[in-house]
Amino acid sequence: MRLEKCWFCSSTVYPGHGIQFVRNDAKIFRFCRSKCHKNFKMKRNPRKVKWTKAYRRLHGKDMTQDSTFEFERKRNRPERYDRDIVENTLKAIKKIDKVRVARAETHHKIRMGGKKEKEQKEAKTELEQSINMVKAPGAVSLLPARKHKVPQQQTQENRAMEE
Amino acid sequence: MGGKCPHRKVKKRRLSHKSARRTKFELKGDDAVYDELKKTDGGASKSLPLDEDLPGMGQFYCLHCDRYFSNVAVRDEHFKTKKHKKRVKIMMGPAPHTQLDADLAAGMGMPDNGPKLMSM
Repeated sequence: MRLEKCWFCSSTVYPGHGIQFVRNDAKIFRFCRSKCHKNFKMKRNPRKVKWTKAYRRLHGKDMTQDSTFEFERKRNRPERYDRDIVENTLKAIKKIDKVRVARAETHHKIRMGGKKEKEQKEAKTELEQSINMVKAPGAVSLLPARKHKVPQQQTQENRAMEE
Repeated sequence: MGGKCPHRKVKKRRLSHKSARRTKFELKGDDAVYDELKKTDGGASKSLPLDEDLPGMGQFYCLHCDRYFSNVAVRDEHFKTKKHKKRVKIMMGPAPHTQLDADLAAGMGMPDNGPKLMSM
């Protein structure tokens, strides 16, 4: 049993699912569902459609280079059956899957976490560069000193009023 | 590809039958054209075979758009069109998407073909 990948969205195509198109130059295109098939017929480029794996890979949304990707590959030569090897691979699949999921999670965390710092930096530079649009250039340096004084005076006045 | 049909009033079916079909099925796929261009290095065509069924005996061909023309003048006019220029731009870019790209994007490694049995 061979699990193929969809030409358009790169998801796994299980036996009995999807549709296969053989072009008249004998090239095979497999699709996991009618959505992908229709998109192919519309001559869309998977690299430009945002929900495909090809797009996500190309634009750094997903983990790209990882040693766990080396295990799953198309093998075009027959393997002689060996009970021990089968047992070991079945054990290894679980382990590798765990490692990959953990790495993908950390990748996601890093990807989503890094933006706040950058946004704050950009906001700060914008404030420094264009504060003159709001306040006159001379008034900016005096502003914080005034702010501190005003509440004190007010409180003193208030106390006087209360007394 | 192909212009409007001059005597058609329904907007949905404004292309003539031939040009409507040409855009869909009769054209070569992007990857096939790309491979062909790679082989010939940018469209310097050698002598094309004579074919009675094709326009202009199949002598005036545009590799990028996979179209035959009736004579040199028409073909050169085609080279000036926006459609052709767009097509050339696409073909100058990165290689089209293939099944291998899809496999790699899904997190598979390069295919394992085993050791080479015959050394060429």
